[in-house]
Amino acid sequence: MPRRKHSPPATAPEATSGAAVRSLWSGTITFGLVSIPVDLLSAVRPRQTALKLVDKGGHALGRQYRCSKENKRLDNDDLVRGYETEAGKMVEITDAEFESVAPEMSADIELRNFVPLQQIPIIYFQKPYFLAPAGKSVKAYHLLAATMERTGRVAIGSFVLRGHEYLVAIVADNGVLRADTLRYADEIRTPGAMDLPKRAKAPAKKVDQIVKEIDELTRGELDVAELADQDARALQQLVEAKQKEGDSVIHPSGLEAADDLEAPAGGGKVIDLMAVLRKSLSKNVRVNNAESGPPIDLAERRARKQKATAKSPSRKRSTTPRKASRKRSGRA
Amino acid sequence: MARAIWKGVIELGRHSVGVKMYSAVEDHTVHFHMLHRTDDAPVEQHIIRKDTGKEVGKEEIRKAFALNKTTAVLLEPADLEKLVPPESRDIHLCRFVAPSVLSDQWYERPYYLGPDTDEDSYFALVQAIERKKVIGIARWVMRKKRYVGALSALNGYLVMSTLRRADQVLSFSGVEPAKTAAPQASELKLAEQLVSSISADFEPEQWHNEYRKRVCQLIEAKARGEKIDRHVPKKRAPQASLAESLRASIAAAKEKKVA
Repeated sequence: MPRRKHSPPATAPEATSGAAVRSLWSGTITFGLVSIPVDLLSAVRPRQTALKLVDKGGHALGRQYRCSKENKRLDNDDLVRGYETEAGKMVEITDAEFESVAPEMSADIELRNFVPLQQIPIIYFQKPYFLAPAGKSVKAYHLLAATMERTGRVAIGSFVLRGHEYLVAIVADNGVLRADTLRYADEIRTPGAMDLPKRAKAPAKKVDQIVKEIDELTRGELDVAELADQDARALQQLVEAKQKEGDSVIHPSGLEAADDLEAPAGGGKVIDLMAVLRKSLSKNVRVNNAESGPPIDLAERRARKQKATAKSPSRKRSTTPRKASRKRSGRA
Repeated sequence: MARAIWKGVIELGRHSVGVKMYSAVEDHTVHFHMLHRTDDAPVEQHIIRKDTGKEVGKEEIRKAFALNKTTAVLLEPADLEKLVPPESRDIHLCRFVAPSVLSDQWYERPYYLGPDTDEDSYFALVQAIERKKVIGIARWVMRKKRYVGALSALNGYLVMSTLRRADQVLSFSGVEPAKTAAPQASELKLAEQLVSSISADFEPEQWHNEYRKRVCQLIEAKARGEKIDRHVPKKRAPQASLAESLRASIAAAKEKKVA
């Protein structure tokens, strides 16, 4: 599919090291009578700026569940979901019951039709997941990916994960299948819901003027610097300054993210995406990330710099374009 | 009536277009409570120290930036305050690109932009974007946070979708099927036939959250005290060869169309 024209500047060897992502679900894509076992992996990494929770003294903090009646510490196995009815009654629903509601949906993603990708409005896309082949044979997986890329179509289907049904577009992207969750039509507001003024034809001259402005700003490609995390830069400077002062450097063990969206309840196993795909799909897979700055840890960066200067000059050159791209992000 | 959550000004060359921002989505998710399995009491979340297991009060909690697994830099609230970007109403357009340049993975949350006062300028911008068939890459600061978004036109109005950051989005290269796993020309042909036999236009209204409905029915039945039958999932029939499965699927799809 001609969807990713921007080529991530992932030339530095560090940039392609495997990405840690969560494995969330195992199931089967069914496509006519063909079935393809897959594992669903989260495709969105937490932001680099994600902060960890500690106390004033620098000790790592974590979350814990406790029973409100017994004040007892609870593990994931002690938990069950409940729904409060309008009458205020709490109804307990077990995992088995959640599954029994639609057993086939909990195990399968049935591809029900194939639609042109460009027909799906941006507003529908919610969250992407990667699908890694889980069966012994990857032939059907490759076949589905190749067919979708050749026809420019994506498959629409749905599946159930942890008590929710997700509508998905299965998208083939450079040989890897992705399940992009979509919003349901009833979750998207219509302009009428906001009382927006009726559509009106704008003065032709004004439209022409704005078209000219758009033309001047139109480019063939993205600039990754414009999509970069600007907060990361400010944070980096702050962290470096504090590191030099030294007072705020702490050594906690077992740090946990302050806002890890997938965690903590049954967040799934953390796996190395590249290792998984190399094993299950194709041995030369590379995971690319559009942006990966130098390490913020001063000690680590010094060590890396020394290593680079000790090596041949050709290695040295490879760091230059990355420096340039960082400068760009500062200007944007 | 949904209310505007923010007001801003789109800056485009010599033109400024005042806009009001509205959430474009409505949450219909069925929300559950976490209960303790044995006594159905609600579950509380506590923040504890990992080494001692002792509870930590809110005023004791700080954030830290982890340099590696064992070293971090503690950030005081005053430090974090310094990171807050300066307030502004400007929505800065960096560039326009063809929509196909941005993969779907980037899109996070959509907002409608409606006109603030000058409807002529607003609709002129909508119609110019429609004519050029482009999306705009925009940056702005809203409620103390920086955002990157894609500005597009949908059904005659502006939609701004916030984008994920470059470090969050992953892509792949180098996927080459091993010889034994590479699809053969005949299989590709059959697969394309099958795809075209179940091809359609994207009609979002035809997709309903069937499961949500069934869960609501289950809740109602349980609230009335009814017993719930357990369904056991069927075992899948063993698979025939890929080509045979494709042929049988095409035949089945054709039958469906006739009926």
